[in-house]
Amino acid sequence: MKKKLTFIVLTTALTMAALTACGGNNGDSNGNASSQSGNSGKGSGEVKKLRFATWDTGDALKIEQDIAKKFEADHPGTQVQVEAYADGFDQKLAAGFGATNPPDVMYMWDFPTYHRSLEPLNSYADSDKDLNKDDFYSGLFNYATIDNNLYGIPAGFTTRVVYYNKKMFDDAGVPYPKDGWTWDDFQSIAAKLSDKSKKQYGFGVRAENDTYDLQGFVWSNGGSYISDDGTKIDGFMNSKETAGAVQLFGDMLKNNSAVLTGGKGQQSGEDIFKGGKIAMWESGIWPLESFKQAGIDVGTVEMPAFPGKPVKGVVAESALSIAKDSKQKELAWEFIKYYVSSEAIKMRVADLPVRVSVVNELKKDQDPLYKPYYTMLERSDNTPAFLLNDKWNEVNRQLSAAVEAVVHGSNAQDALNQAVKDSERYLK
Amino acid sequence: MAQTYSQTAGNNAASLKPRRKRGWGGAAPYLFIFPWIFGFLVFTLGPLLFSLIISFFDWPIVGQVHFIGLGNYKSMFTDDPLFWKSLGVTLRFAALFVPFNIAVALGLAILLNQNTKGTAIFRTAFYLPSVISGVALAMIWSWVYSGDYGILNYFLSIVGIQGPDWLNDTKWSLVAMVVASLWGQGSMMLVFLAGLKGIPKDLYESASLDGAGVIRQFFSVTIPMLSPTILFNLITSIIAAFQQLTLALLLTGGGPMKATYFYAMYMYENAFKYYKMGYSAANAWFMFLIVLTLTFLVFKSSEAWVFYEGEMKRKPQKKMKSGGKGKTA
Repeated sequence: MKKKLTFIVLTTALTMAALTACGGNNGDSNGNASSQSGNSGKGSGEVKKLRFATWDTGDALKIEQDIAKKFEADHPGTQVQVEAYADGFDQKLAAGFGATNPPDVMYMWDFPTYHRSLEPLNSYADSDKDLNKDDFYSGLFNYATIDNNLYGIPAGFTTRVVYYNKKMFDDAGVPYPKDGWTWDDFQSIAAKLSDKSKKQYGFGVRAENDTYDLQGFVWSNGGSYISDDGTKIDGFMNSKETAGAVQLFGDMLKNNSAVLTGGKGQQSGEDIFKGGKIAMWESGIWPLESFKQAGIDVGTVEMPAFPGKPVKGVVAESALSIAKDSKQKELAWEFIKYYVSSEAIKMRVADLPVRVSVVNELKKDQDPLYKPYYTMLERSDNTPAFLLNDKWNEVNRQLSAAVEAVVHGSNAQDALNQAVKDSERYLK
Repeated sequence: MAQTYSQTAGNNAASLKPRRKRGWGGAAPYLFIFPWIFGFLVFTLGPLLFSLIISFFDWPIVGQVHFIGLGNYKSMFTDDPLFWKSLGVTLRFAALFVPFNIAVALGLAILLNQNTKGTAIFRTAFYLPSVISGVALAMIWSWVYSGDYGILNYFLSIVGIQGPDWLNDTKWSLVAMVVASLWGQGSMMLVFLAGLKGIPKDLYESASLDGAGVIRQFFSVTIPMLSPTILFNLITSIIAAFQQLTLALLLTGGGPMKATYFYAMYMYENAFKYYKMGYSAANAWFMFLIVLTLTFLVFKSSEAWVFYEGEMKRKPQKKMKSGGKGKTA
């Protein structure tokens, strides 16, 4: 009997190991690839190698490589190795930190998770006149600050606006939306532009929402996910205002004035917008260029307001940080400084310039297509939830599930109550 | 053989050559298995034990590591609703997948065992999906299941049925997952086929002489003779069901609304999305215990339903042995 038991244990263990072998090594191999490609400085002779990790791909990555080349030209004897982690950014970065072999400079937004592994930049930023800190849009530094330590220099940002397809509005004889419009206007326009038989809809709702992006709506309705001191979610995440903002999308899906997009095996909202089957789409600046290229006569407008309440926006910011374990922090700082210089900022078109002087020079805020991003920036003075509580990742897991339930037809209030109940334990 | 060789070597004490040869002769088998043993120790057993150790720690990738004893296991059971949710999904999946998997594989094997023309082509065709990598398989199925443009819904629309959006419908996504998982079961079919080929023809001949029809033959000859093969396939199916990750990750991402949030996916996310390595290792070890228990139960039950030809003679012997000690001499 004993022998048989050992046999069972062994066969199970071996079979499981054998079966996992094929599925499980995906993450590992990624990690290896990244750490292998970056033996910083080793055996490279006089050339100093700086590793720079980015999440961008495609055109944006191309631009970043060009910036790196220019930096190399200005700094003889340096080589900037641009490491494009793409979708695996978080995994590869975490693996790099875990192995104490991180890239020297990296794109960063999730400061609460990573700040312990990052170099505080206060002294660099304050003492280096070349940076000209005052030229940055005020407020952008707040997103990269934890406990009064600055961990990143803002490199790009975007606010969120409503895109609309002018041709679809013209065809339906509906006037274009204007800044100062309300969610009631939004809903009635969406209803007018929807025709289910033609698979045409006024608005697209994402099947998988990033709760971060929804904060603008929640704040606009006077709600929030978490108390200002970051200690309480009961009465905030499940408040009437928060639920109301989320329910709005659920309702629009139910009455067919919006369509669910970007689920598994479904087209993304951007693609449907490009195909002229969605009249309005809500996003940051990222898809603007591709909308133009697709030949859509696209307009942008501020987010709608909830009646009687001020519109609030949320900023998606990317910053550059230096790893604490980096062995060439001075060079890394030089690179960051160049990356956020006017010259480099002008090269980057995928996000909005962080320097006021560049915006004034290019007159970006005068362009009607770009103006809403800047007016929305003025409306973005709330602090996002992930900066308020370091367990936010865990809470967000429940919140995301609740939002997903709402777009699949659940009642927002019930779903959010459940999410609060399930995440209370993380806040104790 | 080594022994006889050493004896002759001992007689020929004068020459050194054979001695050296003997030394190599002793090490050779170990040298041959060394690559495998090395790989096993370093890449399988080592990480396995290490994962057991880290399951007792709070082990984030970024930040401090603490020893927390059974803390991971405790919080898993006491305050993680997702743990129970994902376990439930996996059990439901296994309950659907395992019987279907075995039935379909057996059915296909029986069809292939018929001596008709073109079995070789069909054998290749049925086995082909197992050759395709899981990722490619997931891509194919995501097209098949697509709500608006999927081929499945196209066929359904021909017969006048408006198909659901399979992967985005909470009611259907798990079923879709089961069907997609059944696709790559060629190897199981082959094992069954080999088992079927191993059943002596004379059993069927005598059965039909006794007047047994095809169905009676299937249940009274095929199934009992095939039961050891069924046992093997049952166990590997159960293990495969509990480990299903590739399809969930690529086809549905665990959604919609966690309807296909498998335990393996939960484990994966804990490790590589939330970086709770210790917690995830604890999850993994708990899964190992579940699978171990199930395997043990299946083995235990097999005494009742698995038929080994060899045991026919042994069983009465056993009884004699336990019956009287005195007869041993």
